[in-house]
Amino acid sequence: MSGLNPFLTIDGVSKAFGGIQALYQVSFAVQARHIHALIGPNGAGKTTLFNVISGAFAPDEGSIRLDGKDIQGRPMHELVRRGIARTFQNVELFGSMSVLENVLVGCHTRTRCGLIGAMVRWPWVSREERWARERAMELLNMVGLADSAMKRAVDLPFGWQRLVEIARALAGDPKLLLLDEPAAGLNAVETERLSRLIQEIQALGVTVLLVEHDMNLTMDISDRIVVLDRGRKLAEGTPREIQSSDAVMEAYLGKKH
Amino acid sequence: MGSRQRLYGTAIFSLGMAALGVAVSNPYEQQLLTIIGIHTLLALGLNMLMGYAGQISLGHAAFFGLGAYGTGILTTHFQWSPWASLPAVLVFAALSGYLIGRPILRLSGYYLAMGTLGLGIIVHVLFREWDTFTGGASGLVGIPPLSVGRLIVGLGRSGFFAVWATVVLFFVLCGRVVDSRIGRALRALGDSQGAAAASGIHTAHLKAAIFSFSAVMAALAGYLYAHLLGFISPSSFDFLMSIRMVTMVVIGGMASIWGSLLGASVITLLPEWLHVFSDYEMMVYGLILMGVMIFLPQGLTRGVLDALQRARARTASS
Repeated sequence: MSGLNPFLTIDGVSKAFGGIQALYQVSFAVQARHIHALIGPNGAGKTTLFNVISGAFAPDEGSIRLDGKDIQGRPMHELVRRGIARTFQNVELFGSMSVLENVLVGCHTRTRCGLIGAMVRWPWVSREERWARERAMELLNMVGLADSAMKRAVDLPFGWQRLVEIARALAGDPKLLLLDEPAAGLNAVETERLSRLIQEIQALGVTVLLVEHDMNLTMDISDRIVVLDRGRKLAEGTPREIQSSDAVMEAYLGKKH
Repeated sequence: MGSRQRLYGTAIFSLGMAALGVAVSNPYEQQLLTIIGIHTLLALGLNMLMGYAGQISLGHAAFFGLGAYGTGILTTHFQWSPWASLPAVLVFAALSGYLIGRPILRLSGYYLAMGTLGLGIIVHVLFREWDTFTGGASGLVGIPPLSVGRLIVGLGRSGFFAVWATVVLFFVLCGRVVDSRIGRALRALGDSQGAAAASGIHTAHLKAAIFSFSAVMAALAGYLYAHLLGFISPSSFDFLMSIRMVTMVVIGGMASIWGSLLGASVITLLPEWLHVFSDYEMMVYGLILMGVMIFLPQGLTRGVLDALQRARARTASS
């Protein structure tokens, strides 16, 4: 672990909300192109950590480094430009838009037409728009939703909405993808497909940080796992090490008698 | 809506308006139609902010007045040519829109409504009290008309064509914005600000930019208004005007370019039609607005389109 280029470094990160210490001195490193999972009981601070990494709010203390550069406290839109994309636990699609348009919004950081450009419609604006549409369709193909491109995103079944969200996140060409419980609400077949999709994303060279309650999925695809409990890091290791750790079993199931 | 559909729609609409401009020769009707055009510009600009980006402004009459008083002051007190004051007024509206928009749009919901309400009131007081330049409550007179060579653009047919040509231009421009990367970002903002930011949209900048854009459209409407009427007074740019603008957008249909036209027409014409009720005019007006909102909460455009769709479905199934 004593790192060949850790891509993401979480160093002593704490975050409190009022009296509640959501994260306390959490540190770990994520290697480039790994699938790294974050597990722990409800309320362990997993989503808070995601929010801190993605720039939704700044940590109270500690630092976060992406590819060697400090990024803690930077605004979200800037972090997206630097290559961090995320999905949401409760799926946040744009309700008024089609599936394709949702993914096109994901291309925002890779295109540059502004208000004036849109009004004048220079030739490069039309070229850029065509490029974005092709790119969005490629991604919809990858997640298997090309046939639903023109449907309203929020009319799709829940499991498909998650895939739209992943396609939208990928549209910004992220280097680090944060997936917040991507398998929640999926059936066994959909979960199997999701697991293949995450591995495909990894093969594209994207580092994946995953919060997930589905232990089969997590143990199956993760290179490393960090266990959080009540805001602290409880354990870290390979799936095999985590499965045989007493501390982890206790946190999940209670003390052995 | 596809770009092609939009293009055809706009082409047919321009021909229709051109025909109307030639056909109507009654000065009263010409003026009424010209005012509808100015209101359409106002509603369209506000709709970009409210309908698409989901940000309310209860103070937009401030920018309408800024355009009118801006050009009024420059052309009367400083003897600028109206053509010179046009870019000055629009640039000033764009800058002030952005600079005011950046802090004020940090607010949302009711708080944003309160904030913009305050903005409208402050600017209105400025128009009324700064009488050295604005003429105070009695207004500013002697604003020169626009002229091209020997043609003077007045409230008659020439004014009609000047205003509606501007409206058509902005139908095209706004249509292009809506169908672009920026249009999608605006709707994303309106749907979910969190997901918009997570998609890399600089929400604070985008909100201020569209606020500025709608301020420019309102100022342009004010510019035309001032030069066509030759006289302006603070009461045309008060709180009630801001409310009327919001009403036009909501009644016509949020996030709809044609809805802005429909809303502006209805809100401008309704009081004219309701004169027959004399003392009860405003009551009937209020009742109609309430009725529309209760039965067509999405506004007239959506409501009518949905009704058509239902009718078509019925004929298809029977």
